[in-house]
Formats: sequence, C-alpha cells, structure tokens
Amino acid sequence: MDGLTKTWLWLMGLVVATVALSQIGGPVGAALLLVLAALKSRAILGGFLHLSAAPGWLSAVMLPLSIWLAMIWGLGLL
Amino acid sequence: MRIDDLPGELLMWVLIVSELLIFAAGITVMSTLRLRDPTGFAAAQALLDGRLAAANTVILVTSGFAAARAERAAAQGQRRQARIALILAALGGAGFLALKAVEYIGDAARGITMEGSPFFTFYYLLTGFHAAHVIAGVVVLLLVAWRARADAGQAGAMFWHMVDLVWVLILPPIYLLG
Repeated sequence: MDGLTKTWLWLMGLVVATVALSQIGGPVGAALLLVLAALKSRAILGGFLHLSAAPGWLSAVMLPLSIWLAMIWGLGLL
Repeated sequence: MRIDDLPGELLMWVLIVSELLIFAAGITVMSTLRLRDPTGFAAAQALLDGRLAAANTVILVTSGFAAARAERAAAQGQRRQARIALILAALGGAGFLALKAVEYIGDAARGITMEGSPFFTFYYLLTGFHAAHVIAGVVVLLLVAWRARADAGQAGAMFWHMVDLVWVLILPPIYLLG
C-alpha cells in the first residue's frame, strides 16, 4: 500500500471517529473533535501537500494551527 | 527549515496560508459572538443537518486522494492517468456542491435564512465562501486536466488540498461544537 492510500484511509478513519464522537458533547467532546480536526489537517498537510518531506515545515504550520484550535476550544468554555 | 524545501510553488503556499487565515478569522469571530448568546447559537446549530456535512467530508477527502494521485501521475509523465484522476477529483467537487445544494434547499425549507440569527449569517458566509472555492477548484482541476502537465498538476492539486483542509477545519465549529 502506498503512502497516498495510507493517508486517505487514515483520513477516512478520522472522519468515522468524528461522526462517532460528535454525540459526546461538552468540553471533553469538543476537545476530542478539535484534536481530530488537527489530525486531519496534519494528514492533509503532511501526506497530500507533502510537508512531511520538508524538514521543519509541518511543525511550523501545525503549531499555530493547533494553538488556534485550542483557542476556539477555550472560547467554548467561557 | 528552508523556503526551498517547500514542495510546489511558493505562491501556492502564500495562497494556502492566506485562505487559512481568512477562514480562521471568520470562525474566530463566530466563536466570539457565540459568547453573547450561547443558547441561541446552540439552538440554531441544532437545526443543521450534520449527516450531509459528514457525507461531504468523505466526498471531499476522497476527491483530494484522487487529486494527489493525479499529481503523482503527472509528475511521472503518465498524462492519461493524471487526466482521469483530475477529472475524478473534479467530479468529487461537483458531488460536494450537489450535496451542499441539497443541504441549502433543506435549510431554506426549514426557514433557515441568513438573517435568522448571527449563527446562520456566519454559517452561510463561511460555507458559501468555501463552496465558491470548491467551484473555483473544480474549474482549475478541469483546466489542468486539459494538458495534465506536471507543474500545473501539482498547482491544481495543491489548490484542491487547500479546499479540503479548510473544510476539515471549519466543520467542527460550524456543525459540531455546541
């Protein structure tokens, strides 16, 4: 199985997990859904946009993205 | 970490980051407005059909997979395979738009309008702006399929992955986080 197929299957698994966890609700459920969104973003950036082959760039993009997602989660707590 | 390490054209990365910032700003403003009326936002959000959004995620991610395969085929000089994969990716985009249209028609039938609540204003603005990018992406993919050259194939696929990326990021705040 090649890398692109693995990325696609991983993304499909994350979509299924998102549907399953969408029923939980509350701060924990929201945090899990945003973690899944971060993982999907990482898969697209690293696997499809090839940032995993560019040293340092995947982390450089994922860091601000993760901080932003954490901020959205934090706003939901207020 | 060097600029030269970035795959594809630097201009495409400027575009991707710019688009991410625009959508992130919209979601941030929406999430901030939610603080003023959390009950109203939750009630409005409950009227949306998350099943269609989930189905559209599957369609868009699979379409992105086709675009990624097209990029690789074009890079290897396999123009026919690249063309087929690009057309499949564009068909995925068309499927996404068709399902989005069904969703909007259902929303309208339930009386969901842009003026109905601040949440719906952002719902239509953000998903509508994203749908406009999908339309642009479908056109780009079909144009790139015409010649299926390596550089154009990569640029077209990068644009399509950006559309995919934006969708997975705006989906939870709009549809799921009550």
